[in-house]
Amino acid sequence: MRKKNLEENASVQTRKKRRKGNAIAWLFNTPYIIYSVVFLFIPLGWAIWLALTDWNLMTPEYEFVGFKNFMDLFRDTKVQAAFWNAFHYLVPIVILSFIFGLGIALLVSHLPKKLKGIAAVMFFIPYLISGVSSAVLVKHLLSYNSMINVFLRDAFDININWLQSDAAFWVLIAEIIWKLSGYYALFILAGIASIPEDVYEAADLDGCVGMKKTILITLPMITPTITSVIVLAAGVSFQIFAEPLLLTGGGPNMSTTTWLLEIYRTSFVSFRAGYGAAMAIVNAVQTFVVIQLVTWLMNKLNKRFGW
Amino acid sequence: MRRKKKSHAKIILSIITIIILVLWLFPYYYLVLQSVVPWTDVDKTVFTTKFSFDSYAYLFGQNGAGAGDPLQWVRALLNSFVVSTPTAVITVAVGLMTGYAAVHKEYKGKSVIQASLLFQMFFPVVVLLVPRYMIVTPLANSYLGMILPLSISIWGIFMYINYFKTVPKAVFEAAKIDGASDWRILLKIALPSTKSVSIIVFLSVFMTRWNELMWDMLIAPDVKMQTLNVMISTQFNQYSTLAGPMYAASVLLTLPIIILFLCFSKHFNEGINFMLK
Repeated sequence: MRKKNLEENASVQTRKKRRKGNAIAWLFNTPYIIYSVVFLFIPLGWAIWLALTDWNLMTPEYEFVGFKNFMDLFRDTKVQAAFWNAFHYLVPIVILSFIFGLGIALLVSHLPKKLKGIAAVMFFIPYLISGVSSAVLVKHLLSYNSMINVFLRDAFDININWLQSDAAFWVLIAEIIWKLSGYYALFILAGIASIPEDVYEAADLDGCVGMKKTILITLPMITPTITSVIVLAAGVSFQIFAEPLLLTGGGPNMSTTTWLLEIYRTSFVSFRAGYGAAMAIVNAVQTFVVIQLVTWLMNKLNKRFGW
Repeated sequence: MRRKKKSHAKIILSIITIIILVLWLFPYYYLVLQSVVPWTDVDKTVFTTKFSFDSYAYLFGQNGAGAGDPLQWVRALLNSFVVSTPTAVITVAVGLMTGYAAVHKEYKGKSVIQASLLFQMFFPVVVLLVPRYMIVTPLANSYLGMILPLSISIWGIFMYINYFKTVPKAVFEAAKIDGASDWRILLKIALPSTKSVSIIVFLSVFMTRWNELMWDMLIAPDVKMQTLNVMISTQFNQYSTLAGPMYAASVLLTLPIIILFLCFSKHFNEGINFMLK
């Protein structure tokens, strides 16, 4: 009898303990849950609702318009520009930031041990610079009377209006690549550091040196890292805002405009909040599909190298 | 002989790397330089022996860019700190708690939280822009309105999850048998062991918040509440804006972040491995 009681007691205790464990786990999750509900799930439902209305951000009246916003999107030249520009940005950003990132990582990895860490961090500095500050720099470096333009005019009689011509897009690309490359180099360096020493020793014995070693051993050994870098870079092309906002205003001829810029302007400058919400949803779908596609492609590549 | 050749090659490669590094950082050097030359030299020189702090004096002066409010730029700089610091602290605290619970606790409903986290990891925040703005409008032009909506980073939570996955459960269970409560374990064992992750999360979130533009433009347009980043951007395309002071303001905006990162750079190598998982 007593034994049974004890057993019961024990099971009650473990149950109590488990319940207490449950309680504390939920307590740990509480801030996250509150945040998610207030700043994610409620806004998400609201955004979907808004996208079906013609609300103007100001007045309390609005009308339910169904899918009209989405129909209008297809004919909107700004939306078309934002949609295609996402790809225009994506290709050079992914390719160039990867090439420069890899180049920096390879250069730094050959430095003597003492210099390695500090050099990697120095290359990473541009990543910390606010888009606003780099825009200040670019604006003045490329203004009509800047040293670069005066030099080009005097020496070669070339007059480029950097931010109001086809060059504008490439100026922004250069600015973004400058910012990202050192950051991605840190990842690639961490990948290179994780390659076991004996792999290289074996390669040395087989007479595999220099560039050959890089291409045949280093690159295949770090394909998972490369995948992360490329997916990250692809994501960046959907988040460009400060640079075109300040430097080009999206022009000339909408060649540098981005989703964020157009959504921001539509919602908060033209006060078409409903339409802006619809734009944001289309942007989200495009982002999701493209990122999935890039990830899928990279995973296929990974498989080829046995990862 | 072969060896000697190899070390020569190494020295040449090092020199090339350093030259490229110098070129890579040249734009930033140029930015800093233009903020400390006399106004007549701004954008006309890449090297100087004549230094002048006119640009900084103008920013903080009575008749300068502050136009009647000499504290305008000081306040903007302080606003940036006041907004970024709590944001980063909250992110670390919540990341630690949520990450610990996700890996080392078993509880009812865990799969719901996990699904929610995964969903958010890949969710483009721009969809939430207008509704978030509506929800936070009552807090417009307040620190709370600037801090709360950006105070939790899903990326930060995943950094902690990735880290805690590498810590054997036995470590925390042993502490539990010794009678330590979950809070004690979190503060005395988990937090210190996550040092490198916590530093990376703190710095990254601090930097991202510091450089945030769109949200601050929307929610805190009042001159007294603007962050430094927003204030520079509002002056950016004004005809009356002078180049020198803009450079000076840009230095004020970028230098604190760079110094902060350089101070903690030795923790990067350890922490960065958790960013890729």
